[in-house]
Amino acid sequence: MKSEPIPFILEAKEISFSYADNTRALDRISVSIPRGKKTAFIGPNGAGKTTLFLHFNGILKPNQGSICYEGQEVHYSHASLLNLRKNVGIVFQDPETQLFSASVQQEISFGPVNLGLPKEKIRERVNQAMAETGITGLKDKPTHFLSYGQKKRVAIADILAMQPKVLICDEPTAWLDVKYAAQIMELFDLINRTGVTIIFSTHDIDLAYSWADYIFLMKNGKIIGEGLPERIFYNRPLLAETELERPWLIDIYEELNRKGWVASNVPPRTRQELIGHIREKMS
Amino acid sequence: MIICLALSTPITSLLVILLMAGIVIFAGRIPALFYLKLMFLPMFFLVAGVLTVAFSFSPKDTYLFLWGFKLGGYTLGVTATSLATAQALFLKSLGAVSCLYFLSLTTPMVEILAVLKKLKLPSLFIELMTLVYRFIFVMLETADKILISQSSRWGYATVKTSYFSLGQLGANLFTKSYHHSQMLFTTLLARCYQGNLNVLERSYPLSRKNLAIFVAVELLLLALGLWFKA
Repeated sequence: MKSEPIPFILEAKEISFSYADNTRALDRISVSIPRGKKTAFIGPNGAGKTTLFLHFNGILKPNQGSICYEGQEVHYSHASLLNLRKNVGIVFQDPETQLFSASVQQEISFGPVNLGLPKEKIRERVNQAMAETGITGLKDKPTHFLSYGQKKRVAIADILAMQPKVLICDEPTAWLDVKYAAQIMELFDLINRTGVTIIFSTHDIDLAYSWADYIFLMKNGKIIGEGLPERIFYNRPLLAETELERPWLIDIYEELNRKGWVASNVPPRTRQELIGHIREKMS
Repeated sequence: MIICLALSTPITSLLVILLMAGIVIFAGRIPALFYLKLMFLPMFFLVAGVLTVAFSFSPKDTYLFLWGFKLGGYTLGVTATSLATAQALFLKSLGAVSCLYFLSLTTPMVEILAVLKKLKLPSLFIELMTLVYRFIFVMLETADKILISQSSRWGYATVKTSYFSLGQLGANLFTKSYHHSQMLFTTLLARCYQGNLNVLERSYPLSRKNLAIFVAVELLLLALGLWFKA
């Protein structure tokens, strides 16, 4: 008999981590990532988001506590690490540090080759990843000829080609212009619809509010709040503690609501929803 | 290139130079002026090098010299043989250089690496080449960024500050590169890196036509070279 899959695909249980210079980056953090959802980590620089992500992928090993993937504790043996890294892919913030190969196609093939797939399969995956990220035209280009936005796409394709179950993206929209950022978030939506769990970190609360299914707030290596976006962003004391602004959507919605200019009692999550609420009331 | 180096007949070298220039400029679509400038670079070194070959230095015997002058008891001048050697050397080197230019101007690094891999070169060597090639650009870019940020803050306003800034740039470039390589290692690990940088090689169809042209040209050069030598 096949049992129901557990609701959390990745879990960190009471993990602590200090870097070699004794800076405590993570302080007894417990996190459960819901399967198939889009989870956002928000927090100021130095909150420990990247350090936590590196734990999810087995690059860093916690000083205390444990990481579980699919309910199984990661043992940091060669085999279990490979299994974890095959299923949990990280797109790093600066694509410059991720790209090493001379051509885009070779760059993307690195992951699948490491997975030991047959050649045809690798070619298929590379082509698919390039098509999904819209970089098929750059196939044979040397990586140093690409623009920043293109490099970011290649970095994402790098991981997509490995077809992970969990896709982690550190600051996906950092340094990108509005158009590229929107395209990348659309791409994540698309990937998410195929059943891939998505985790990302961001400073952009408006983005997190509109886009995430679940939110963790981090500060000084601790989780200081978690929950559904509509819950988190209406919790004023919590926001004050993290020194975060409220999403503009909520401010405007509350103001309009006070004046009785919006129809629904359900707070809008996107610009379109808010406009819809106002139009409904007016008509 | 090997033919050019092996046969010391000036005519072969000259042919190779013209052939390579023709292919690069017409088939490779490299602007002629740019190519000429590139060729001038090694030419300067060559002229300097060849001059020392052309001049010989000997005591007494003056009748062998085409032109020369006395310096104390010795004669410094040009002889027929030394001039011929110099000429051959000059053309031969330039021919070899033009072959190298042909390779680097027309063949992307990826393809050169693929060929080296086919030739069963040790993978360590090839991986190093890949990384070095990639990091040349990373370092150039980093150096450029540091330079801009330094000059925007008057880092090169006087000779003194220039020396200081340049030193800082060098030192920073080193630490930054080191940091970058550490990050790269992390990102590779995250993608199941197990000690080998294996990537998918492109498959190249064997072109019989190209191969035939290649062989024919080489044979022609060889025949011409041998004929002129005889």
